[in-house]
Amino acid sequence: MNSSVLLGVTTFAYLLATTLYLAGITFHKPRWLPWGTLCAVGTLLVQTAGIALRWKESYDLGFGHAPLSNLYESLVFGSWVLVLIYVVFEKKIGQRALGFVPCGIAFLAMAYASFSPGVVSTIQPLVPALKSNWLIAHVVTCFMGYGAFAISFGLSVAYLWRKKKAERPLSLATNSLIPGSRELDEFNYQMVLFGFFWLSIGIITGSVWANSAWGSYWSWDPKETWSLITWLIYAAVLHARAVRGWRGPRVAWLSVAGFCSVLFTYFGVNFLLSGLHSYATK
Amino acid sequence: MKDVHERVLWLWKKLGSLRFALFLFLVLAVGCVIGTLVPQGLSERELFSRYGPKTARWLSTLQITDLYHSLWFRALLILLGVNLIACTLQRLPKTMALLRDREEFLDPAKLTKYALHRLMDVPVEFSRVRPLTEGVLREAFGRVHHLHAPADTFSLVAEKGRWSRYMVYVIHVSVLWIFAGALAGSLYGFKGVMNVLEGETTNEVFIPRQRAMMTLPFQVRCNDFDVSFYENGTPKEFRSDVTLLENDAPVLQASIRVNDPITYRGVTLYQASYGAVLKKARVAFSKGGESERFEMALTFGEAAPFGATDRKVQLVDFTEDFSGFGPAVAIATWKEGEQPSGSWILMNHPDFHGNRIQGYHVTVLETERGYYTGLQVKRDPGVPVVLTGFVILLVGLLTTFYVPHKKFYLWAQKNNPGTRVVAAAWSNKKSLAFEKEFQHLCDRLADALDRRKEGK
Repeated sequence: MNSSVLLGVTTFAYLLATTLYLAGITFHKPRWLPWGTLCAVGTLLVQTAGIALRWKESYDLGFGHAPLSNLYESLVFGSWVLVLIYVVFEKKIGQRALGFVPCGIAFLAMAYASFSPGVVSTIQPLVPALKSNWLIAHVVTCFMGYGAFAISFGLSVAYLWRKKKAERPLSLATNSLIPGSRELDEFNYQMVLFGFFWLSIGIITGSVWANSAWGSYWSWDPKETWSLITWLIYAAVLHARAVRGWRGPRVAWLSVAGFCSVLFTYFGVNFLLSGLHSYATK
Repeated sequence: MKDVHERVLWLWKKLGSLRFALFLFLVLAVGCVIGTLVPQGLSERELFSRYGPKTARWLSTLQITDLYHSLWFRALLILLGVNLIACTLQRLPKTMALLRDREEFLDPAKLTKYALHRLMDVPVEFSRVRPLTEGVLREAFGRVHHLHAPADTFSLVAEKGRWSRYMVYVIHVSVLWIFAGALAGSLYGFKGVMNVLEGETTNEVFIPRQRAMMTLPFQVRCNDFDVSFYENGTPKEFRSDVTLLENDAPVLQASIRVNDPITYRGVTLYQASYGAVLKKARVAFSKGGESERFEMALTFGEAAPFGATDRKVQLVDFTEDFSGFGPAVAIATWKEGEQPSGSWILMNHPDFHGNRIQGYHVTVLETERGYYTGLQVKRDPGVPVVLTGFVILLVGLLTTFYVPHKKFYLWAQKNNPGTRVVAAAWSNKKSLAFEKEFQHLCDRLADALDRRKEGK
C-alpha cells in the first residue's frame, strides 16, 4: 500500500460521490443523497490516509516535508480541504442537494493532478525557498479560503439557476431538493465570510513569510497581486451586502467573479505569468 | 458662501460613501490586473522592441511599466485611505449613538412580534419570578439590566457582544495602520543588494531604485559561501558564513540562509543570489598551427604585456554562461593610446573559431575562480507597524464575522394565579445557532419556573 494507490482510489471515489449526489437530485430521489454524503466522507478518510502516507514516504526518502510543496500536492490538498469544508457545512445546514459541486470540483482537481502529463506526482525534496515553518501555515490557510470560495461559487451558480427557473413559471418545482434562493443567498454569504477570513490569513502568513525569505512583506509579485485582486472582489461582496443591502443576483455574480479570480490566482498566475511563486507550476 | 459649504459637505459625504469604496476596489483591482499582465520594470529599449514605439510611449506616459509605484496608483491608494477615514468619521458616531441608546421600558406587545419570542404562563408567584429568572440570565449573560416598570411587572434586558459592533471600525483602522507602516518603510527604509566575494569585506550597498550606492554603518565579511545539492541535482541549501565588523572589530558571526536572514542594528541581510568570479587564468595564445605559441598567467583586471609585442592584455569580464555555451572570459588587448579590442573566449569550446584575438587562437588552460554571495540588504522600520496591523486586522475580521451582538428581553407580569412571562431575543447575526440558543435559554427559564409553557 502506498500513497499513490490511495490517492488514485480517491480520484474515482470522488467521481462516485458526485454521481450519487447528482443522481439523487436529477431523478428526484432524496434518499440517495445520504449515500453521496457517505461516499464523500469515506473518500475524505481515504484521502486523509493518502496524504498522511505521502508525508511519511517523504521522510523515508530522506527529505521529509509536508506534502504541500508543488502543484500536484497542492491540488490533492486543495480537494481535501474543499470536501472537508463542504462536509462540515452540509452537517451544519442539513441540506445535501449541492454536494455534487464540491465533489465534482474535487474529482476534477484530483483527475488533473493524476493524469495531466504536465503535473509531476513524484515526491521531490524542498527547494531552499520553501524550507520554512510558514509553508504549512501559508498553504493551509490559503486553501481554506479557496475551498470556501469554491463552495460559494457552487451556491451562487445554484442561486442564479434557481432565479432563472423561477422566471419561467411553467417549469414547475423539479428542483425542490435544492434550497430556496433566499437560503442559497444566506449560505453563500456565510461561505464568503469564511473564505474571506481565511484568505486574509493566507495573504498575511504569505506576507510575513516573504518578509523573512525575500526581504519584503509585499513585492507585487503576480501571485501576491492576484490574491489581492481576489481579496478586493470579495471585500466588495461583503461591503455591498452588509452596507448597501445588496442581495440576490448581483452578489451571486460578484461571487462567481471572485471564484474566477481565485482560479486565476491559482492556475493562471502559475502558467501565464512568471514570478516568485514559480515552484508551483510542476 | 452657503453654496460652498454645501458643496464641501457633499464632497465629504461622497468621499466616505460606500459607492466610492466599491468604485475604488474595482479600479484598484483593474489596475492590479494590468500590472500583472504588462511586465514591470522593463527598460525603455525592451519596451520598444516588445510593443513598438507607439504603444511603448503610451505605456511609459501612463507609468504602466512601473505601475505599482506610479502616481495614479499611489493616488488611488491615498483615496482609499481618505475613503476609510471619511467613512469611519461619518459612521462611527452614528453607531455609537445607536448603541448608547438603550430602551427605557419594554412593551410586551412588541416583544411578541420578535422573530424569536416565547410566552410562558407559569404557576410560580410573581415575587419569586424575578430572582429565579435573574439567576438564569446572569449565568448566561453575566450582567442584567433592570428597566423602569409599573407595579406588578418587571422588565429585564441582558446583552452580550455589544463591543463587536465596533470591530468593523477596528478593521478599517488596521488597514490604515498597515498603510502607515508601508509609508514609514518607504520613507525611512532602504532596500539594496551587496555582492561580497569570499574572503572580502565591504560596506557598500547598491540601491537599485535610486541607482546609487550607500554605505552601511558596519562592514560585512564573507568567510565562505556554500551551495549544497540533493542527489537529483536540485539545490538544497544556499549558505553564507559572514562576520560583521565595526571599526574592523568583529561584532557578529553568523550564517545566512534562504528563509533565515540576520538582523544587525536594524539592517537585515538575506541570502538572495550567488555567482562566480574569475580570479586568475592561464591562457595559451597560438598562431599558424603551433609555430608561434606562448602561455600567460593573467590576473583578472590587471594589464600585462602581451607576449613579445608592444601591446597589453587584460581579462576584462567573465560569465558563468555565455548564451548557453558555458563559461566565457572576455580578453582585451590594446596599444598605448589606442582603443582596446578583444573577444569573448568560450572556455569549454577550445576549437571555437571565434576564440581569436589579434590573429592568435586563444585557449584557456586553467582558471582560478572565486564565489561571491549576493545579499539583499534591507532596513524597514515599518515592519513592526505592518505586523501589528495584520494581527489587528485578523482579530477585527474574526470578531466582526463571528461574534454576534445579542440582546435578550424578559418581561413579567403578576397574573392570578402565577405569572405571565414574555421572553424575546434579537441578534445582528441571525443564525440557526442563535435560534437554538434562545430556545435552550427559554427551556432553562421554564425549568426554573416550573415546567408549564405555552407559545412559540
